[in-house]
Amino acid sequence: MKKWIKPFTAMLMAVSLIGGLGGATTASAAKSTEKGKIVINGSSALLPLTLQAASEFKKDNPKVKISASAAGSITGPQSVRKGIADIGAVDWDASKDVPGFKKFDGMVANPVAVTVFTAVVNTNVGVSNLTTKQLQDIFSGKVTNWKEVGGSDANIVVVNRKFGSGTRVNFQQKALDGKDFMSKGDNYKEVGSSGDMKTTIETTPNAIGYIDLPYVTSKMKAVSINGVAPTEKNVLNKTYKVWGIGYYMTKGQPTGATKAFIDYIQSSKFQNGSLKKLKFIPLAAVK
Amino acid sequence: MIDLNPSTNSPAPSELGPSIGKAPGSGTRFDRKARLRWSNKLFRLVCIGSASFVCLVLLCILVLMLRTGVLTFGDVSLSEFFFSTNWDPENEHYGALIFILGTLALTGLTMLFAIPISVIIAVFLAEMTPKWLRHTLRPVLDLLVGIPSVVYGFLGLTILIPWLRDLSGHDLADGLLAASIVLTIMVLPTISRISDDAISAVPNKYRDAAYALGANRFQTVIRVVLPAARSGIMYAVILGMTRAIGETMAVVMVIGNTAQLPNSLFTPTSVLTSNIVMQISSVEFDSTWNHGLYMMGFILLAISILMIVVVRMFQKKGGHSS
Repeated sequence: MKKWIKPFTAMLMAVSLIGGLGGATTASAAKSTEKGKIVINGSSALLPLTLQAASEFKKDNPKVKISASAAGSITGPQSVRKGIADIGAVDWDASKDVPGFKKFDGMVANPVAVTVFTAVVNTNVGVSNLTTKQLQDIFSGKVTNWKEVGGSDANIVVVNRKFGSGTRVNFQQKALDGKDFMSKGDNYKEVGSSGDMKTTIETTPNAIGYIDLPYVTSKMKAVSINGVAPTEKNVLNKTYKVWGIGYYMTKGQPTGATKAFIDYIQSSKFQNGSLKKLKFIPLAAVK
Repeated sequence: MIDLNPSTNSPAPSELGPSIGKAPGSGTRFDRKARLRWSNKLFRLVCIGSASFVCLVLLCILVLMLRTGVLTFGDVSLSEFFFSTNWDPENEHYGALIFILGTLALTGLTMLFAIPISVIIAVFLAEMTPKWLRHTLRPVLDLLVGIPSVVYGFLGLTILIPWLRDLSGHDLADGLLAASIVLTIMVLPTISRISDDAISAVPNKYRDAAYALGANRFQTVIRVVLPAARSGIMYAVILGMTRAIGETMAVVMVIGNTAQLPNSLFTPTSVLTSNIVMQISSVEFDSTWNHGLYMMGFILLAISILMIVVVRMFQKKGGHSS
């Protein structure tokens, strides 16, 4: 199960306090008056953020019990709907329809952070830039040899995340413009987590996959898309568009301790502090 | 001198143990006899209770899996589920044949590798090693059983697969072969240690008799020792097989997780366990997809129960004829 935990998911944004402005003051004003129990489930990408926020929040609010676990994005809103969890962390806005996933009626999406996703290839691949069209062709299986996109004569190995992955949803929507992935083939495999993706790309020659920026290591290469490199700077100047917002889904508007906790995470103190240190960065700048 | 003997006489018999030679009615209601009877009864009840608890748990699991799984067939026909190879739940195609065949093929291949090797290891351990080596090797094998399967899977992913890739010339060597090699290594200690015990338990007089007839060591092992230890070895194989069929984490990392019928041992494919674990957490709770996964879990359970029954029948037959 450890593999499910994505230790860091990058959020490369600067702060500004969209809905959080008022929240910041509420959170500090609410010091130690809140009590109750908050259960959080869902995205493993957001788990480090959640855990960090929970430990800080508990210092100010010793009477609030927070338990956080992660079993994948889609389980977040599902758990909320079933009443198992108060907050469902998810890598996309689950109150709207997303390809493959119906919207969750009656739920409110509270944005908490931003993640940058990037296409990555094994270091032996001589390609460092791909266009959207080339990515679509590669991930749909139309292009099967690296020489067709300017590389050496070698078969392309496509590594995909499993259905239900928040990273997959974001990559499909934003890097592939919603085009479908292939689902079969000798050179196609699926992996269960970001950790598996990292290992597979590192050890498989000619492989291409996609991952959150903090996972990119020296043993793999992050590919520029349409000539734009996946960096924090390029996200901020709006040239790189493959990033997504992480949300906390709640049943209706959050109340009580849950509201206080979400307010705390959205407060400028947390967004500019711990969130940045964890390689998450506040969300408002991208709006 | 005087004190040693008369111990039977001098203390009043009633004080020693009133109920021992006497009929009930010696006074108290809970005399020794009654207590004995009660504690025996209680002990028996506890044992029966524990045993039936196990059966109850198994029954509950079976019923739950079946009850949830059967809901699949509200939306999917039986024949599609069992005889179609088109698993594409996003587009409402629920054919699970790939996974069923994959599971059977993977288990079969694993057993093909594992049984000969582990029986040879067992024979070596039980018949040929000097004592000191045996005492070193057995704990080593026992330790191998305890290594978490994720570790095997990770080693398979990082060492075995690149090696297979070089060897086979495939771009991606994930598939049945890689998975069955990992599983073989995982079940080797299980099968060989239990077979080892079975072989060690064969009475020495059998061997002595074989040697007396002029058989050499090879003949003795093949013709006498192994047949005598047969049921124990069968038992070892059952345990190994059930471990292989249900193993998930290690398989998921090396099988490729692609819903397609493999056309070679190096084609990424998927089996029941790997498909369930990959998808169960990402699927809506009350959807056909979710029910389909439950059904696949039930099939897995049914296959292993069936295998155990079949092997048990074999075992009985073997026991009668020998």
